[in-house]
Amino acid sequence: MISPRIDRNTKVILQGISGRAGRLHSRLMKAYGTNLVGGVAPAKDVNEINGIPLFPDCASAVKATGATVSVVLVGAYDLLAAMREAVAAGIKMIVTPTEGMPVHDALQAKRLTRDAGVLWIGGSTPGMAVAEVAKLGFLPDVSLKSGPLGLMSKSGTLSYESGYRLALRGVGTSVWVGVGGDPVKGARYSDLVPFYAQDAQTKALLIIGEIGGRDEEDFAEALQAQQFSKPVFALIAGRTAPEGVAMGHAGALTYGSHGGYAAKRAALEAAGVTVYDTLNAMVEGVAARLL
Amino acid sequence: MYLLEHDGKALLARHGIPLPAGCLHTADHKPALPPGPWVVKAQITAGGRGKAGLIKTADSAAEVAARSAEILGKSAKGRTVRAVRIEQQVHGASEAYLSMMLDPAEAGVRIIMAASGGMDIEALPREALKTATAAPDVATLAATAEKLAATIPGATGKALAEAGRKMAAAFIAEEALLIEINPLFVRGDGSWLAGDAKFVTDDSALPRQDAQHALLADVGGAYGETVLKDAHGCDYVVVDPEGEIALLTTGAGLSMMLIDEMRGAGLKPYNFLDIRTGGLRGETRRLVNVLKWMRTGKNVKVLLINIFAGITELGEFSRLLVSALNDVPEFQVPVVARLVGNGMEAARGVLAEAGITLHSDLDEALVEVRKHLQGAQ
Repeated sequence: MISPRIDRNTKVILQGISGRAGRLHSRLMKAYGTNLVGGVAPAKDVNEINGIPLFPDCASAVKATGATVSVVLVGAYDLLAAMREAVAAGIKMIVTPTEGMPVHDALQAKRLTRDAGVLWIGGSTPGMAVAEVAKLGFLPDVSLKSGPLGLMSKSGTLSYESGYRLALRGVGTSVWVGVGGDPVKGARYSDLVPFYAQDAQTKALLIIGEIGGRDEEDFAEALQAQQFSKPVFALIAGRTAPEGVAMGHAGALTYGSHGGYAAKRAALEAAGVTVYDTLNAMVEGVAARLL
Repeated sequence: MYLLEHDGKALLARHGIPLPAGCLHTADHKPALPPGPWVVKAQITAGGRGKAGLIKTADSAAEVAARSAEILGKSAKGRTVRAVRIEQQVHGASEAYLSMMLDPAEAGVRIIMAASGGMDIEALPREALKTATAAPDVATLAATAEKLAATIPGATGKALAEAGRKMAAAFIAEEALLIEINPLFVRGDGSWLAGDAKFVTDDSALPRQDAQHALLADVGGAYGETVLKDAHGCDYVVVDPEGEIALLTTGAGLSMMLIDEMRGAGLKPYNFLDIRTGGLRGETRRLVNVLKWMRTGKNVKVLLINIFAGITELGEFSRLLVSALNDVPEFQVPVVARLVGNGMEAARGVLAEAGITLHSDLDEALVEVRKHLQGAQ
């Protein structure tokens, strides 16, 4: 079974650490408690960034540090090559926050990671976190409070706002995975159902979905196949979005009956999931169940 | 992006897929017609055109002009018809179905084939559909399509095999998300034509797909959203041309949710926007552009700003915002701001100086929005 759970000992490298995002987020991740043991960047005249030692390539970083996880912050058109490098170096979990990876590159990346038994979170993911322990990616600290709620989301911002309001209301999260908004992604909601089923800290599960694709429908099927017994809640964005336009996320595109809101809601409700229309209703509903 | 049928067909033709003779007419550009009789088809990126009265037949050039005039300018599913494709009618052919689309679970391409087509694929009996998922490379995809076609007898099977090979090449080369030919006209001798084309391409691949990139400059505004993203780095969609509330928001999911919630509460948002605050880099240019676009909404009466800042510093964002508002003095509407997160207190001060109240609660902000809407009446 694949597990996204990390802890303070999980050794993490960052590919692309010398870019703007790499510098900023290596500092923020380290401050949060993530065990960032190395950065991959073209050799220049520095040998560390934010106190993190630099390596010229993944293989030497993994060899020197024993890292098993990589956060990749390189350009969209460089992602596939960077992921190939990480898989070849023996990395077991890859997180790719970069937006705009070409979908056909994502098809190749998914086959690559699947065949190598590597867990890929992304693309266009805000990252993942175990609240108050460690995070990989961009999740804002104010939204992270430790607690019993497993959380998976396609959207970054909608999950930040949800996590923030839940935290204010007293509900914290266990393992938070931003599966990302791309149509072809690494881990989908359904892939992580077995993990959340057995995770002891997780007492309930929230998915934040949106129109496009059929991730939500496949998630509903996986819940039934797994006989998932913990309460499951959902918030689905895009109920009133126009057809034929990608709403910000490449995956949030409906055409005809494909990817529409109604089918997602029906599938989730048939699997026993409580689907909310508004953020407030979701926060109150989850709080009433868990507090 | 979801291509107009005319553009989708142009891409298919690049890969040797045969089409009925046709041309594109707009209100002021009407090239010579192919041989008749004709079918006049509205070019909008939405399904169900036939049922919506947006596809009509014509037997004379005068009738073509009359049917075109009826269809041009019509609206369906929030889109206005700016062009019609006029095509020679196809007679004496049977109708088959062929599509290829992403299979996100299997990281492959799903092929669907049927000996009878022409109608909505969901309306076909399940046993009539031949499906398989193939690895995303031309050779495997083409071979898998041929294997499926081999289960269909006669001229139709032969046509689907050839169409499958050509579609496989198009799907991979164009980095497609979906290609559907329905109906695929098959004649008794095995020759065939793509009667319709639904073609969805990958915006993320646009910079390396020159033929698709060239489409952005075409047909008045058909791909406005992709053009904006390509040129300005943000996502902007007018969701209701009659809308009253312009939205300055960041994050696709949160922006979509806000629109859903506002509509659920009886409010009329004008636009969807993912401004990407992280990409502003200290410049007002993107904000100024967005404010100018919003100003063109004829019923816009109030601007609502809703930002959750995980990383972005809200004080800095607020300074950029106030400066951008000053740069677009012609956009004179009340501004309601709801900002939460990093640097909220600094933002409160900056906005107060500009006469804007910062709300941290979205519901309170919406109360102020309603107050302005009532005041504007």
